[in-house]
Amino acid sequence: MSSSAILPVGDGGVLGAVRAFLGSLWQKKLIDALLVPLELPSGDNVVPAIVSDPEKLKMANPLAPVMPLNSARQVSAITIASPSAERLGVVLRPCEMRALIELVKLKQASLENLLLIGIDCPGTYSISDYGRFVQKVKSPANDFLSKFQEGKEDPLLRKACQICEYPVPANTDLVIGLLGMDLNNSILLEAGTAAGERIIGELGLEKGGVRSREAAIAKMVSQRAERRERLFEQVRKDARGLEKLMAALATCINCHNCKTACPLCYCQECFFDSPVFKFEAEKYLGWAQRRGALRMPTDTLLFHLTRLNHMVISCVGCGLCTEACPNNIPVADIFRLVGDKVQKDFEYVPGRNLDDELPLTTFREEELHNIGI
Amino acid sequence: MVKLNSVLVIGAGAGGIKASLDLAEAGFKVYLCDRSPAIGGALIRMDRWFPDNHCGLCQMLPAFSTDDSSRFCLRRGLIHPDIELMPLTEVKEVAGQAGDFRIGVTSRATGVTPELCIGCGLCAGVCPVETAREFNEGLAPRKAIYPPHPGVLPYVYTIDWDSCTKCGACVAKCPTQAIRLKEGEVIRQLRVGAVILATGFEEFDPVLATQYGYQRYPNVITGIELERILSPSGLTGGELLRLSDNRAPGSIAFLQCVGSRDSRKDYCSSTCCMFALKEATLLKQANPQVDIHIFFMDIRAFGKGYYRYYEQARDELGVKFTRSRVPVIREDPPTRNLVLTTIEENGALAKRQFELVVLSVGQTPAPGFQELCQVLGVEVNKWGFCRSELFSPVATTREGIYVCGSASAPKDIADTLVEAGAAADQASGWLARRRVPPTPPEEAMESDAEEAPRLGVLLCDCGQEITSVLDLEEIAEFSRQLPDVAWVARVPYLCYTDAWQRPAKELRKHKVNRLVIGACSRYFNTRLGEIGLNSSAVQKVNLREHIAWVHGDNPKVATEKAKSLLAMAIELARAPEPEPASPVNVHPRALVIGGGLAGLTAALSLARHGIEVHLVEKSAGLGGNLKQICYTLEGDDPQALRENIIARVKTDRLIQVALETELMEVGGYAGNFEVSLKGKESLLHSLEVGAIIVASGGEEYRPTEYLYGQNKNIITQKELEGKLFSAKLDPRNISSVVMIQCVGSREKERPYCSRICCSQALKNALRLKEGNPDIEVTVLYRDMTSYGFQEEYYTRAREKGMTFVRYEPESKPEVRPEGERLVVEVAEPVLGGRLILEPDLVILSPAIIPPENTPLAWTLGVGLNEDGFFQEAEVKFRPVDFLTEGIYVCGLAHSPRGMGESITQAQAAAQKAVSLLTREQLVSGIAVSETIQRQCSQCELCITVCSYTARMKDVESGEVVVRGALCRGCGACVVACPSGAAKLRGFKDRQVFSLIDAAF
Amino acid sequence: MAEEDQFEPVIVGFFCNWCTAAAADLAGTSRMQYPPNVRPIRVMCSGSVDPVYVLRALLGGADGVIIGGCPPGDCHYVSGNYRARRRMAILKTILATLGLEEERVWVRWISAAEGAKFSRTMNELTQAIKKLGPNPMKRDWSI
Repeated sequence: MSSSAILPVGDGGVLGAVRAFLGSLWQKKLIDALLVPLELPSGDNVVPAIVSDPEKLKMANPLAPVMPLNSARQVSAITIASPSAERLGVVLRPCEMRALIELVKLKQASLENLLLIGIDCPGTYSISDYGRFVQKVKSPANDFLSKFQEGKEDPLLRKACQICEYPVPANTDLVIGLLGMDLNNSILLEAGTAAGERIIGELGLEKGGVRSREAAIAKMVSQRAERRERLFEQVRKDARGLEKLMAALATCINCHNCKTACPLCYCQECFFDSPVFKFEAEKYLGWAQRRGALRMPTDTLLFHLTRLNHMVISCVGCGLCTEACPNNIPVADIFRLVGDKVQKDFEYVPGRNLDDELPLTTFREEELHNIGI
Repeated sequence: MVKLNSVLVIGAGAGGIKASLDLAEAGFKVYLCDRSPAIGGALIRMDRWFPDNHCGLCQMLPAFSTDDSSRFCLRRGLIHPDIELMPLTEVKEVAGQAGDFRIGVTSRATGVTPELCIGCGLCAGVCPVETAREFNEGLAPRKAIYPPHPGVLPYVYTIDWDSCTKCGACVAKCPTQAIRLKEGEVIRQLRVGAVILATGFEEFDPVLATQYGYQRYPNVITGIELERILSPSGLTGGELLRLSDNRAPGSIAFLQCVGSRDSRKDYCSSTCCMFALKEATLLKQANPQVDIHIFFMDIRAFGKGYYRYYEQARDELGVKFTRSRVPVIREDPPTRNLVLTTIEENGALAKRQFELVVLSVGQTPAPGFQELCQVLGVEVNKWGFCRSELFSPVATTREGIYVCGSASAPKDIADTLVEAGAAADQASGWLARRRVPPTPPEEAMESDAEEAPRLGVLLCDCGQEITSVLDLEEIAEFSRQLPDVAWVARVPYLCYTDAWQRPAKELRKHKVNRLVIGACSRYFNTRLGEIGLNSSAVQKVNLREHIAWVHGDNPKVATEKAKSLLAMAIELARAPEPEPASPVNVHPRALVIGGGLAGLTAALSLARHGIEVHLVEKSAGLGGNLKQICYTLEGDDPQALRENIIARVKTDRLIQVALETELMEVGGYAGNFEVSLKGKESLLHSLEVGAIIVASGGEEYRPTEYLYGQNKNIITQKELEGKLFSAKLDPRNISSVVMIQCVGSREKERPYCSRICCSQALKNALRLKEGNPDIEVTVLYRDMTSYGFQEEYYTRAREKGMTFVRYEPESKPEVRPEGERLVVEVAEPVLGGRLILEPDLVILSPAIIPPENTPLAWTLGVGLNEDGFFQEAEVKFRPVDFLTEGIYVCGLAHSPRGMGESITQAQAAAQKAVSLLTREQLVSGIAVSETIQRQCSQCELCITVCSYTARMKDVESGEVVVRGALCRGCGACVVACPSGAAKLRGFKDRQVFSLIDAAF
Repeated sequence: MAEEDQFEPVIVGFFCNWCTAAAADLAGTSRMQYPPNVRPIRVMCSGSVDPVYVLRALLGGADGVIIGGCPPGDCHYVSGNYRARRRMAILKTILATLGLEEERVWVRWISAAEGAKFSRTMNELTQAIKKLGPNPMKRDWSI
């Protein structure tokens, strides 16, 4: 399934080429609808939307360097009750696709009847930084990409993106490839599955590829991995140990926005919102008595540690928890640091493969001999 | 005649316990007697078993109505309302007949009144007599008054009259006047419908093998003694030490067949190879540096998974094996090491020195067994074991009396437990089936749930056992201050018969609806009725074993601990009581898959118990492999058996046979399966059944080796048997045959022993010899596996002049045609040369292989083992069950086995199914899980982690629901669920939080 | 007197009904002495110990937590202890990565026959926790 085709970039720039490609899926009747980020009229944000009229594609902007929310959750919302009856195209960034794979394993989404279109992700800004960015440029997507083409990575990009080792989507039927391409001339359309391959055929695209891509990907991944290690070092310095960790969590107001923004926190009702955490007055006063004082609301650290416990094995590092935090707690940094270790322990890469079992649903008889003697 | 509901099981070892539990679970009343003071027999002196090195004893506890029996490790005891344990009891007299036996038993007094004994041990402290301790094989001393084994429940002492001097010191010391130094007997008459003989075996006394110096040389020990040395509850606390000098031995030799396979005991004890392998494996795993050498004649690793175990010991762990008899052992006096003289296979004598020698002693009938059999009126065979027939392996010569385990022939636990199930099946045929009444949801419970909790706290002084360390008054005062506590009281001895009368009154007066007991490890559940509370309304704190007895030197902190534990228990007791889950109905109907010997036998057993049976067979006829078995080694007539059971199946009103029919789909769960069947001509039709028995059989491997199929004179054993039987082949026209064993078995792609091929070869060889004494029969083998009483035929074959030549798997025999003749060439290990034979016929003994079982296993949702046979729930303790309740396995579908063994297993599987199907309803235990739908995201993690398929997604509602009857309350789902939607009744997160909070 | 001698830690023990709780009883009937600092909680299976219980104990006031289960392969519920092992491995890794003294959490497989191992473990655990000193989390009002 290595077949790929070149999509020419014309006057509309890369965005134009992508829109044209998405439009062609309708023309060839390959999809009935498409979940894709659309530009809002205000111009300073994009949101995922289900497009059923190809006319609306002129607002489609999957290249806008901003990810207000993780679309995996939207795919989940659409497909959780029953798989899509119509053929739905879905344009996803790599971290969105990886989150989607995890959600499928958790029975929170179905890939049935979906055409998964991944798109290379050079990185995204926070919503507010994006708002400032669009003020300065004419076409945010094209402008961003041309900068990217020059090899300049904006230090304003979200930290999660700067350390992301997965700029290229996996497991999608098709990949819109940007890395290693001469974006003034062409972008790549790569098949990731047999279905994707068929579509390239049906679109009548000429097969072709580029040699520069692999090296470009490798370079980017290694740069990011290096940055990731530096960040880990920093987090270890800043947030390790009870005192420092509590300092990092000092501004937490138990709003649980991080949980709401997390594409993987799938619980209908969070454990921490359940009746288990409704205590009698005597309990609160008792705890206060024991320590002299009691932070309210209670269980700040317990919440974060438990969320780590539940989710860190599947964390794809999209970083939206940090974005959602009203008080700038680096939740994602902590998740990445811990996740890196836990995931390695179980040789588990979230979102790598639908067939990899979730580590907590299985076990090996011979393992972890250091736990329990 | 009104049928009785009760049964007597004689012998409380592995087989007796298993049969009793099976019968009690099925709703019968069991008297379980044993000559010894405690249950467990040989079983509880071992910690782990082959072939998985695990302990799985507790797997024997009932799978349904789990709350009925005690729910703790069986090593500690067995408490079931329908099993009456009768220790120190012997059967003296048997009158009546099957269905109505009147049995006189005498029970010796233990000297200690169990209701009075508090287990304080003061008596043993003053007892002047020291004697050898049975539990540790006499390796460590005990007093004449002693607890039968550590950890036994209730923890009560007993007197060994043989060593007791009746000095009276204990009587004077006993704080509860529990001791009566009067040997007495209580005679009782039992009326039972059937009897199961499960007396097990006695180890061969190695003193009789004088050449080995057992007892003369301290470093010559038996396998079971080694087991006790290696056990954490044994005398060295699990450390490998020689008894002569408390030093770890660097080299150990195992001698096989001590007291087996010789002229006096011409049978194989069937288990000693595996037992030695297990010891060697455990030793090597714990002490890799120890040099271990096993001296043997044949390695008989014929059970499921056993050959792999052997290979692992040999190839991965480096246990060394030498094929040699050891005629004599001498001690090297200064070192107390042992010098073994061995006769190697080539006849050479060698001397080798070891620091420890382990004798693998065989099994012999239990002492007094002959007399017991006389009392019971059942015959023994010439080896002194209970006589049974090949086709009715658990029947004795007296109707209504059944036998299981080593009482009828030496065997291991796995085979014993299968027989125990079969014996339970056969015995229950004589009994009035008591339908297990669905436990009515106790009214008290429902009203309790609404009532505000009012707690009572009952603290036991245990004489001074608790009060000498703990300040119970302070603890009582502390308890009074805790929320919802309405009443606190102390009693001197809570275990006394009349101890509960006063509290019961007080409890009522104070309207107490929950109780916290602070006492000891005793099992009080059976007494809760006296105070009108059920077990879910009661919490226990073990003030004695968990505090007073272990923190004697720190009373202050110990009292603090006691307070914490009481506060914790009170928090648990305060929680609202769970509402009982609703029971589900059972379809009293079974599906049997497979119309071979196992399937037919199972169907007949089911029908005998009034169960409607649907038997489906893939092929066009009944009988399976049995069709091709013409005679047996022991002289039985398989074809008569075949005709008989097919006729009985065909005429049984309750059995419907569907030929050329296959199982297509299975839905539902134990008691409530919906299965879809498809006949060759018919449409898919569905059926509601409560249980499924898998008896889909196995088949003979078609050899690709030794030119099979290319030469008409190279045939399989089965083909030879057919030809001999139909007289197509006249032995008088043959002058020589060569038989080749292990064709396709014990190979890389099939690393298991097919179990029956050696006896098949012996059977056909003897038949040939019978027809023509001059035939030269040469058997090329790897290990002759004529286990149990088959050994006799191996001996007979050699006496008749048959030649047995061993070959190594690396240098297999070569078969080639030379002109008209066949030539077989093989390396001869004894003389070291090459043997060249020119037989008329070459007979191959092919493996038993599973058919392609994957589709069936997938349909049933059950597993297969690495070899493609069905995988039972637990290799020893749940041998016919699957992890999915309601589905059972027997016959070749499980593993290669002989006819008798298939029959036994089919009966055992039927017993399980009958036990399930004769319930009208399945009732959940108290602590089963449930789903809070509001919190559930249907991620199904709980379904994935459930070992018992107790959780499923309801197709219609889409909700994740719990099949309460299948839930064992392990709590795996609770932990798997991130949102807290999966809960355990009686142990919810909220309660656990409160409980944890109370710890500080 | 050294400080660690005065400090009486509170340790919460989650002991599986089938093995470790039985071993505790056996240690009792065999009168094997061990320090009284462990508060045993009997659970049906080590696999039913939710990491949140362990955290709750650690954050709520325990100086240490021990989970006692059947030896690998011996679980009454087939695989509960294997699952517990994975969960506790993750929990300990989280704590270790965040520098939260994962060594306060012990996992031990103690069979019903191992009364001696039970009392030895309680001794070792209590000593180890005494050495670590009081759990700082239990004094912190702001966690």
